[in-house]
Amino acid sequence: MDMTKVLVIGSISDLGLIGLAQKVESPEIHYLLLGGGDATQLGKYGVTKVYTLSAQVDEASLAETLVNLISTNNYSVIITPPVNKYFKTTIPIAAQKTSAPVLVDVLDLKQGGNTFEVTLNGVGNRAQVTVKVTDRVFLMAPPARFKPVEKVTTVTTESLQPKAITGIKVVSTEEKPKGKVRIEDAELIVSVGRGFKKQEDLKLAFELAEVLGAEIGCSRPIAADLKWLSEDHWVGLSGHKVRPKLYMAVGISGQPQHLAGMMESKTVVVINSDPNAPFFKNCDYGVVEDLYKFVPALTKKLREILKK
Amino acid sequence: MEILALVKLALDTGQLRVSETKVDIDSTPLKISDIDRNAVEEAVRIKEKAGGRVRVITALKYGPLTRRQQEAESLLREVLAMGADEAYLIVDNALINSDQLLTAKAIAATIRKLGNYDLIIAGEATIDGYTSQVGGPRVAAELGIPVITFVRELRVEGNKVTAKRDLEDAIQTVEAQLPVLVTVTREINVPRIPPLLQIRAAMKKPINRLGLADLGISMKSPVEVTNIVPIQVKRKGVIIKDGTVDEKVDKLIQALIQEGIITPPR
Ligand SMILES: Cc1cc2nc3c(=O)[nH]c(=O)nc-3n(C[C@H](O)[C@H](O)[C@H](O)COP(=O)(O)OP(=O)(O)OC[C@H]3O[C@@H](n4cnc5c(N)ncnc54)[C@H](O)[C@@H]3O)c2cc1C
Ligand SMILES: Nc1ncnc2c1ncn2[C@@H]1O[C@H](COP(=O)(O)O)[C@@H](O)[C@H]1O
Repeated sequence: MDMTKVLVIGSISDLGLIGLAQKVESPEIHYLLLGGGDATQLGKYGVTKVYTLSAQVDEASLAETLVNLISTNNYSVIITPPVNKYFKTTIPIAAQKTSAPVLVDVLDLKQGGNTFEVTLNGVGNRAQVTVKVTDRVFLMAPPARFKPVEKVTTVTTESLQPKAITGIKVVSTEEKPKGKVRIEDAELIVSVGRGFKKQEDLKLAFELAEVLGAEIGCSRPIAADLKWLSEDHWVGLSGHKVRPKLYMAVGISGQPQHLAGMMESKTVVVINSDPNAPFFKNCDYGVVEDLYKFVPALTKKLREILKK
Repeated sequence: MEILALVKLALDTGQLRVSETKVDIDSTPLKISDIDRNAVEEAVRIKEKAGGRVRVITALKYGPLTRRQQEAESLLREVLAMGADEAYLIVDNALINSDQLLTAKAIAATIRKLGNYDLIIAGEATIDGYTSQVGGPRVAAELGIPVITFVRELRVEGNKVTAKRDLEDAIQTVEAQLPVLVTVTREINVPRIPPLLQIRAAMKKPINRLGLADLGISMKSPVEVTNIVPIQVKRKGVIIKDGTVDEKVDKLIQALIQEGIITPPR
């Protein structure tokens, strides 16, 4: 294994990850570019070799292609975005076959000789964990976390021919309704949970959000089980990570997997009828009240005060 | 039908014991990782239809072993009470704090040792690791069988599996032949809460212990954890619980103005 060799896997919009690759000492950076795009752009940041795929393939086939690429080039660090279930399935297969750990939600990497020290969010996003690795490692991190420095290089490109692996047959694909909320970027969020009894009742939260100029967030059951809102509203460990100025949780109990997604909010307001809801231990202002009484009254008062 | 369910005894992240600067892993209680209950439930439902048996495999990841083994066994009784027939508990100091590579090797070696299997069911992710690696893709890769991840509807007919995968922007329906490994989402079912009678009956079901030596594994974890610092956010914790609804509204609005979140026009 060559400690300087790094492979970044991602689309053209994931090139922030080159910033993480640059933390390796005098790295030789290769990029497996998925989904097309201008490969020469990657040369601005010191990437010397770009691989592309001749066809879009399923997870098992991409994993196989990766295993071959890794054994040919002997990478020590392989970096990918965590963004979707396609990567979440592909990467562990490739990692197991190349005997490597995968560290997820990586914050930083420091190299001391033959050892990488990696910090990451772990324990269900409740702690910062530091680990040492002395051999090949896969890192997953959100590209926006890093900023690559410019370093112009010449890029050579090569197209890989992935082999289709049979075993699983796709019968049909049914698109999900798409939302267009970018909850990650919202300044103010009113977030709804199972305290709402019916889908129509969400109207109460929408009216409040409108007066505040806030986006609507939600807990997992609202998006995944009940499908009352599209998944772009979903906040938490398995949903989106948000960091607004105001996070107002209405009828959400405050389970650790929900908290994991909104820990970085500045001011947290909780509205819940149960004084023992765990969320009250993690809030700045907690109102113990029935949301069906409180939310309309709050909306009305805010309208008066804000003259809306 | 020989069904295996992979269950992690995870750190109860809702009850994490923390001091100012450290997470005290050793004194944090364990619980069955939530989605692994869905995995067991699905396994038991398939057994109830197709016949056969359900065996549960777990690799204990947290020490100290002297105390955790007892804790592990009583947690495993819960999934046995749900209808699993037998449990395999992999206990070894080398697994404490180890990474997913070694955990997956240990689980796969146990599966090989058990012999025949048709279907392996795991959870989509654990509450503490939350990596979606171990039970699914890694164990399947180790065994050399196909894996279907993030399944929210599963049908087994004869030798054929039909599954609906819950992806970000689509529901994908796939088919495969047994043997196959499936990871399930939390939405696939509602895990049963076993009645007392079943819990008693579960006391008689076998829990078998294995060490890495029994599995012929001598490798060490490639990752060494050197520090765990809790992410703690100091919150004001002002609870507004007295008075009428309107009084509470006024108190909250005062707070929002103070925090500079809303600014009433003059
Ligand atoms: C691996 C894993 C990942 C997960 N990821 C996520 C995630 O990303 N996001 C997420 O949210 N969850 C996630 N979950 C699920 C999480 O554990 C909880 O089950 C979920 O957050 C609960 O949603 P809830 O608070 O809306 O519902 P509940 O827990 O049912 O809470 C409803 C709350 O509403 C209150 N309430 C009821 N009626 C009223 C009323 N009239 N007025 C005021 N309050 C009322 C109740 O007191 C209660 O506190 C995950 C779970 C696992 C295992
Ligand atoms: N130590 C373990 N023992 C048994 N099964 C496990 C273990 N760790 C993870 N799994 C299985 O792998 C799935 C994904 O786990 P993770 O990679 O930790 O998110 C879980 O839902 C379990 O089914």
